[in-house]
Amino acid sequence: MKIGVFICHCGENIGRTVDCVRVAKACSFFPNVVHSVEYKYMCSDPGQNMIKQAIKDLKLDGVVVGSCSPHMHEKTFRKAVSDAGVNPFLCEIANLREHVSWVHDDKEVATDKAIDLMRFAVEKVKRNAPLKTIQVPVTKRTLVIGGGIAGIQAALDVANAGYEVVLVEKEPSIGGHMSQLSETFPTLDCSQCILTPRMVEVYQHPKIKLMTYSEVEKVEGFIGNFKVTIRKKARFVDDTLCSGCGDCAIKCPIKKKALSEFDEKLAFRSAIYVPFPQAVPNIPVIDKEVCTYFKNGKCSMCVKVCGRNAIKFDQQDEFISEDIGAIIVATGYKLYTIDKKPEASEIKGYGEYGYGKYKDVVDGLQFERIASASGPTSGEFQRPSDGKTPKKIVFIQCVGSRDESKGFSYCSKICCMYTAKHAMLYKHKVHDGEAYVFYMDIRAGGKMYEEFVRRAIEEDGVKYIRGRVSRIYEEDGKYIVKGEDTLAGVPIQIDADMVVLATAMVAQTDAPKLAQTIGMPYDNYGFYSEVHPKLRPVESSTGGVFLAGACNSPRDIPDSVAMASAAAAKALVLFGSDMLEREPTIAFVNENLCAGCFYCKKVCAYNAIEVKQIKDKNGNVIKEVAFVNSGLCQGCGTCNATCPSKAIELIGYTDEQIYAEIAALM
Amino acid sequence: MDDIKKIARELFTSGKVNAVLGYVSINGQRTKPFLATKPEETDNFIINKYILNNLTVYLTKKEILKYGKIGIFAKGCDVKAIVALLQESQIKREEVYIVGINCNGVCADFDMEFSGETIALKCLNCEVRTPKLYDELIGTTEEMPKADDGKLKMIRKIEALSSAEKWDIFEEQFDKCIKCYACRQACPLCYCERCISDKSVPRWIESSASKRGNFSWNIIRAFHLAGRCIGCNECERACPMEIPLSLLNRKMAMVAQEEFKYVSGLDPNTPTLIGSYDLKDDEDFIE
Repeated sequence: MKIGVFICHCGENIGRTVDCVRVAKACSFFPNVVHSVEYKYMCSDPGQNMIKQAIKDLKLDGVVVGSCSPHMHEKTFRKAVSDAGVNPFLCEIANLREHVSWVHDDKEVATDKAIDLMRFAVEKVKRNAPLKTIQVPVTKRTLVIGGGIAGIQAALDVANAGYEVVLVEKEPSIGGHMSQLSETFPTLDCSQCILTPRMVEVYQHPKIKLMTYSEVEKVEGFIGNFKVTIRKKARFVDDTLCSGCGDCAIKCPIKKKALSEFDEKLAFRSAIYVPFPQAVPNIPVIDKEVCTYFKNGKCSMCVKVCGRNAIKFDQQDEFISEDIGAIIVATGYKLYTIDKKPEASEIKGYGEYGYGKYKDVVDGLQFERIASASGPTSGEFQRPSDGKTPKKIVFIQCVGSRDESKGFSYCSKICCMYTAKHAMLYKHKVHDGEAYVFYMDIRAGGKMYEEFVRRAIEEDGVKYIRGRVSRIYEEDGKYIVKGEDTLAGVPIQIDADMVVLATAMVAQTDAPKLAQTIGMPYDNYGFYSEVHPKLRPVESSTGGVFLAGACNSPRDIPDSVAMASAAAAKALVLFGSDMLEREPTIAFVNENLCAGCFYCKKVCAYNAIEVKQIKDKNGNVIKEVAFVNSGLCQGCGTCNATCPSKAIELIGYTDEQIYAEIAALM
Repeated sequence: MDDIKKIARELFTSGKVNAVLGYVSINGQRTKPFLATKPEETDNFIINKYILNNLTVYLTKKEILKYGKIGIFAKGCDVKAIVALLQESQIKREEVYIVGINCNGVCADFDMEFSGETIALKCLNCEVRTPKLYDELIGTTEEMPKADDGKLKMIRKIEALSSAEKWDIFEEQFDKCIKCYACRQACPLCYCERCISDKSVPRWIESSASKRGNFSWNIIRAFHLAGRCIGCNECERACPMEIPLSLLNRKMAMVAQEEFKYVSGLDPNTPTLIGSYDLKDDEDFIE
């Protein structure tokens, strides 16, 4: 074999810490290396041409590039090698940047290490075999998980491009948090008015299969070829018969037992209910926990009033299997809540604000319901405890956000804006009311955002106080808010009628569970991780899984919608070709050696190992061995490491290659 | 146990099996494994304090598999090996008829009187005197002689040593190894078609009985048995060089139990330790 070695300086990135000239010189003495050079930017056009030219002139049949991580430029160099007529898998990358120059200071030592890594890669490439990429078909259907504004937008974009979408929403209706909002910043248009047309469009779209009150149970397969099992939870109402007349909910005798999730527990709902009037689909569900029929079988009022016999108490959860090519995750967020009993709360802290203890201390979403025309007060500002109009409201920002000691270190991003909006909406309806906002900083980056906050302060007279609140307590029917005005440097006390806490946006409680079901990464907070925060912000590192909205990090509506369209575009890119190319570096079983213990099958995270029967010519089973499904195998190598007799190996990373690499370092 | 011959014969006559693995007596206080393929061949079958072999090792052999359904006389410890083989898809439950033996301990070796002095160490803390899995059960459990668990004491002593001292101890022991692979041949769980020690491209384990080859062989074998070894101790009994292999195997089993609450060979339906993972598993060792 004739091997060419190409050392890249990566500008200064490698060159400053590694003596590239010395590395190239050392490599030229390695057995089989016939050409060894260095260059400032190997990934540049002239750099690539150096490789191509050397292959041509010297008839190289193996190439080792010492450069940045293969994550960055493996593709580039393999393509260059391939263009020059050599199989791309005969090109190896030694990572001299992330593994050497970026982690070492001492130039001598770093250079020695770089030479070792080069020797390592040269030994490997000697044993590389020419490989061919695997072609797999693409199922051009998209699963969108979450029916909030992000999921809706993504589903509509993909469907409007002509591809089928399965939209799964765990609640009885799509709409998500946006459907709960009163008005939206910075234009103050009514949230429902702009959202509900989109909801209806989803419902009516011929390419969208809407599955509400459903959850993703299992995800198998891989990019372009997922098999997804969806649990359609029992509604106890036959959606093919129900006309959505609502008689059942009106007649349901359970009136004061169940708190409305949609109204953020500020109002009651019946046991059989539609979460809100514009719900899509307009089909009720029965809450088994409070329904008298499910408790003791004594009531069946809904059955009596239903003119279409749609109530089905014996309905069971259904499991539906879908073939999917791309998954867009848009599961959104929840608000950081402080439980009545701090010890029962997931997150502790802020007991001093009396949330849960005082009825008139509410969170942002509860205030949205109070402000909303579809809310429990029909949009009149009435406080929860006695229904009186609050004359003085204190808004507290950053409750849980930007607070490492009690909450989270991140900024929830939307609270500055929605608090300004809340105060503004309040002032628009209660002209003689006073609104105070305690803030740490005002973060109003966004189109028309700063102007919006200025308008709240200057036109609507909302009083902004820079400082934190230390304590809230009740005295003579007032809530005494104690804090500090840090700009004036004085303690401050406000006797408020109501307090609104802008609590942090946090990941959904079961976010890690879904991530594990799909097999995608998430961060310490439970938010789903993108591959690259700048260049690949809507892609999960799991192939074919894309992210939209606040499941990734706190986001407002415009950001979520933009991200959803971007995720849809990524799914459509995937559908642009009929076949996907996959790396041929997958597991391979030597059937003669396989003892059939199937430890490989047990440890395989991708269900890629199957049982294969070896038969004699009379059809008798001689033995059972492992078999690798090349479509499912991701080449992670876990089976390889587990196999006691090394009967299963990874193509492109065979034991022989690994052994040679280790031997080169000894 | 006079009815042993009757039981073995009946396995044939009732058509339950095509061959029976049992023990026959030789020279008084010795037994050897025996495969009966006809009813009359069971006439010399015996159960006593000297049924030392773990017959399970034969269940995966081609020469025996060809008979189809096999009957096997098995002590509680032997049954643990059967369970492990079931977990690892090496045998099918319906292909094996287990005559479980209620066991009161066996001798450490042949040609000695059974007493607290000579009882096999593996019997001392035995929790499977009545086998966990069987098709029929023979014998009764009785009081067993008590003795000191010398091996456990030795494990505790070695645990307290530094890494360098541990290395020295095992290096000295492994130096004795002559690479005869008797340990592997006696082990019911060493059933691979081709052992990694026989792999030549690449050669992970040097084949000569050199320091390096001996060390890698014995350590790799211990790792391959981690979470799997059922403690029948046949490897140690088979070793002609008297290498105390059970020190490693037993320590590994202790770790499996302490860290993962896993004891091998108790239930064929339990996922194996190496072949399963739990999201709640301790990850502290990853730094």
